Amino acid sequence: MNQQDFLVCRCEEVTYNELMETASRNGCTARELKLRTRAGMGYCGGRTCRPLVQQITKKLEQAPHTRVTLKYQPPVRPISFGVLGGGEE
Amino acid sequence: MYDVIIIGAGPAGLSAATTSANEGLNVLVIDEYMKAGGRLLGQLYEEPDGTYWNGIKESNHLYEQARRSGAEIKLRNSVHNIEKSGDVWLVYTERATYETSHLLLATGAAESPLPVPGWTLPGVMSVGAAQVMTNVHRVKPGKRGVIIGVNPLAAVIASELQMAGVEVAALTLPQMNGLNEEAANPKQVMNQLLHVAHMAPSALIRQGSKWMKPSIMQQLGITFYPKSGFKMWGIPVHLRKAVTEILGDEKVAAVKLATVKPNGDVIEGTEEIITCDFVCIAGGLYPLTELAAVAGCPFYLVEELGGYVPLHNERMETALDGLYVAGNITGIEGAKIAIAQGVTAGLTMASNHGVPGLEARIDQSIKEIEHTRDSAPFHFHPDVKKGKQIVQEKWEEMMKAEQPL
Ligand SMILES: Cc1cc2nc3c(=O)[nH]c(=O)nc-3n(C[C@H](O)[C@H](O)[C@H](O)COP(=O)(O)OP(=O)(O)OC[C@H]3O[C@@H](n4cnc5c(N)ncnc54)[C@H](O)[C@@H]3O)c2cc1C
Repeated sequence: MNQQDFLVCRCEEVTYNELMETASRNGCTARELKLRTRAGMGYCGGRTCRPLVQQITKKLEQAPHTRVTLKYQPPVRPISFGVLGGGEE
Repeated sequence: MYDVIIIGAGPAGLSAATTSANEGLNVLVIDEYMKAGGRLLGQLYEEPDGTYWNGIKESNHLYEQARRSGAEIKLRNSVHNIEKSGDVWLVYTERATYETSHLLLATGAAESPLPVPGWTLPGVMSVGAAQVMTNVHRVKPGKRGVIIGVNPLAAVIASELQMAGVEVAALTLPQMNGLNEEAANPKQVMNQLLHVAHMAPSALIRQGSKWMKPSIMQQLGITFYPKSGFKMWGIPVHLRKAVTEILGDEKVAAVKLATVKPNGDVIEGTEEIITCDFVCIAGGLYPLTELAAVAGCPFYLVEELGGYVPLHNERMETALDGLYVAGNITGIEGAKIAIAQGVTAGLTMASNHGVPGLEARIDQSIKEIEHTRDSAPFHFHPDVKKGKQIVQEKWEEMMKAEQPL
């Protein structure tokens, strides 16, 4: 049965088919898949789709046991530029 | 400047706060939610001895205890970064930057999604969101729901919804796709359920679990698994049916359900429509480790614990000086274990801060964690003890590698 397409990364509007095709065409690591499609790079910082992007590349990548495949970077919560720059809210 | 800052006011964070403040330390707890208690707040279930575990009551108790011990608790404030500067940990929050000698990460767990077509419609939520709406805010998520994902957490929350007068039309699998293989494979899901079978009040599953252990029996079990499902607390549980799509124009109106083969493939022509006004997605839990990752902690992937965990020792110290972990960030388990881990972390921080004579109590508290784990009515992962052992081994390997010869 055909898999109907659906959104995976809601912030950047990246779909399932787009992710699967990109991954199989390029043999991506999780990081490369993220950079190519922008899945996980939107406003929420990948708080929902991060595990999904990792799941897609899991078999290809042989998930390294000792480091997190998709790097976490501050800020880990959405914050205003004012807060980030140390200025007034 | 604080002696101790604790990120997370869940059971682990609150018990660590009480423990370290009672040893005379100057303690600050920060949490982004509006209430203290973390994921304990939503919990409401019957214990094996027939008494009820009421998460709101337990949370209030832990919160009051922490307040009485002198710990300061700030809610509604997110931590977005942490950083070490010399001997001091800097904690960056939405409102201010705080400084501390000892920093405990007690940030708990997060839910994994299980996307299927239609999952972005209003009315689709994680099963944890439905739990919080129902049990904490006392708002019904809808009149009649379908839960996608069959696992212990989904079962517990289904029964809680039912107690609140919300109808659960079915617990069922998602259609298999490249994002969900394990959660969509009837055989693997069955396997997982057998380990919690003693909890299910259904004779079929309870009796079945004894003889279904060998894997051939499991294959038979899933092949002959009743297509109509079995009932748990009166709720149909389907392991041979999967949601292929969530339907609705502006919000959830129904799900499309199809029969699947034991390997998860959809059998064409078997689709049926089940009406509902909300859908819960139960994809399982993983440790929420973002701040430990930002700090540069070494990690290890331990499936038995739910994912990547920061390496730590039995005293709850990480590889980074002055950084500690407790609760579900160290692996997915119940709230009582998180409380016990919080005690150990609190004592270790006090001891490292110079409070003398705590060694015996630390050892005792480590034993208490083990004991609590052994007497837990169920485990999120059946091999959690093996997972804990792996962390211990990896920690020791790392320590040996760092020792100068
Ligand atoms: C949705 C869900 C449902 C669960 N249901 C059950 C159940 O029914 N039964 C059961 O035994 N276990 C359940 N658990 C497991 C649960 O995690 C443990 O029982 C226990 O609550 C873990 O305690 P903790 O203190 O480690 O973390 P939590 O209780 O999760 O507390 C962590 C706290 O940290 C805060 N936090 C996280 N990051 C930040 C940040 N960056 N800044 C500020 N604050 C932050 C959170 O707001 C939260 O209050 C559930 C877990 C989840 C996620």
